[in-house]
Amino acid sequence: MQMNEPNTTSELRRFAINQQVSDTDVVITHEDIDRAHDRERVSATRARRGFRPRLGLFWLLIGPGILVMLGENDGPSMLSYAATGARFGVGFFLPFVVLTFVMACVVQEMTVRLGAATHRGHAELIFDRFGPFWGWFSMIDLMIGNFLTLVTEFIAIRAGLGFFGVRPAVAVLGALLVLSVALMTHRYWTWERIILAAAMFNLAFVPVALLTHPQWGAVGRALVTWKPLPGGLTQETVLILLANIGATVTPWMLFFQQSAIADKGLTTRDIRMGRLDTALGAALATIAALATILATAPLFLHHMSAANFEAAEFAQALQPFVGYWGAALFALGMFEAGMVAAITISTSSAYAFGEVARRPHSLNLPFKQGRTFYLVLLVEAVAAAGLVLIPGIPLVYIVLLVNVIAVLAMPPALLFLYMLVNDREIMGSLVSPAWANVLALGVVVILVGAGLLFGVSVITPNALALVGGR
Amino acid sequence: MEKEFDSRRDTEVSREEMASVITALEPDQIISTKEHHHCPRRRLTRTEMVLFWGLRIYLVFMVGVVVYQIWTGVR
Repeated sequence: MQMNEPNTTSELRRFAINQQVSDTDVVITHEDIDRAHDRERVSATRARRGFRPRLGLFWLLIGPGILVMLGENDGPSMLSYAATGARFGVGFFLPFVVLTFVMACVVQEMTVRLGAATHRGHAELIFDRFGPFWGWFSMIDLMIGNFLTLVTEFIAIRAGLGFFGVRPAVAVLGALLVLSVALMTHRYWTWERIILAAAMFNLAFVPVALLTHPQWGAVGRALVTWKPLPGGLTQETVLILLANIGATVTPWMLFFQQSAIADKGLTTRDIRMGRLDTALGAALATIAALATILATAPLFLHHMSAANFEAAEFAQALQPFVGYWGAALFALGMFEAGMVAAITISTSSAYAFGEVARRPHSLNLPFKQGRTFYLVLLVEAVAAAGLVLIPGIPLVYIVLLVNVIAVLAMPPALLFLYMLVNDREIMGSLVSPAWANVLALGVVVILVGAGLLFGVSVITPNALALVGGR
Repeated sequence: MEKEFDSRRDTEVSREEMASVITALEPDQIISTKEHHHCPRRRLTRTEMVLFWGLRIYLVFMVGVVVYQIWTGVR
């Protein structure tokens, strides 16, 4: 941008001297101006006292936390919860799912602090602090995981709309169109509000659960006692266990939330609100996840096998218990879960690529300036959508693969996060306190333990008997 | 520092916009400043390297387990 007014130039020079850079190196971009407008609204609201301004401030600062948590309640996640309810009913998995969201909160809180303290995305920090080798390595890990997950999102979209008789090609093309329209705003704030509104439809599973008239006494007992676990600890139980962890704690969430916080322009003063945003997102996502388990629990009570159900088949199977509208809501919920996640996950890939390849990366960029960012996002989504349309492709195996790989890929990603958030050179006084580190290490131990249990159950299934299983 | 991309634009920035950016954003939030101030690289200790590679090997091994499970499932 050209600096054409004498006063503007002198302001810029003063700023440049303070920043110890040449004034010709300081260039104000379209992205800076958009972000500054957002920050001005935050500052003006913060300056006012009273309850309404506080509420207004919360409204301005929420977004990344809710989006990441409801975005992670995606196609394969909802499918995992549905399979859990149909296979195990009301019991052990209700409190277990609550625990997984607590783990997600612990992990995502660290990204809030990192993003607000450094104003940089996760991939960029790994690249800068640990060097190009680990930077590219973690970015490629993320891209592969995200691509596989995106495929499952389009499976959910296809299956959800399939309930209403929409043909697969129309469903997938329609989803790509929605994704592209959301990007056309070229404004982080508008994009975030549109996706937040769409993400609220994740709660569509709540009325479906209520239509099944759950036995609340049994729900309360299960939450307190972690029982029953029908069938005990078997290979199938371990797989569902892993799928449910993978439905809540995955690498793309780290990259997305930190990059979104940097793109939104949050600062260290906003960390408290960022934590509230994350906790609220986790609470909403937990409600939707528990509702999905409760919604499909009647299939367990009526001994209906759900071993090879896909999303639309769950909705059809539920119809006798919740009626057409209940089943339709369930199918719509599946579509929404896939749609919101397709948008957030492809965005996390684009952020990470831009950060590592040193290309402009922001939802505030016009298409011409953010060509690489938007192209990575769209090309990944189009490729995943195309794969879903190939006849005869084993979609069920891809869903299985994605959930499990997400859990297995998490410990290496968490190690980077743990080291960055304890790095005093970039975090200053915002490094993790001891209790947060204990919780984070607890999450790593649980994830590695679950992964190893899965490995044992696959390689030597009989060994499960040693830990009380069969 | 190597300049990886030039974010200069051919549109003009008004004085108000300039003032808004400088007052509303923290210095390291401005894109061109970020380009010039990268976080310095840190030296990894031997323990950290062992952890990095250990978890990497764990991931590769476990992906092999997943592939094996899918292969046996298909059969």
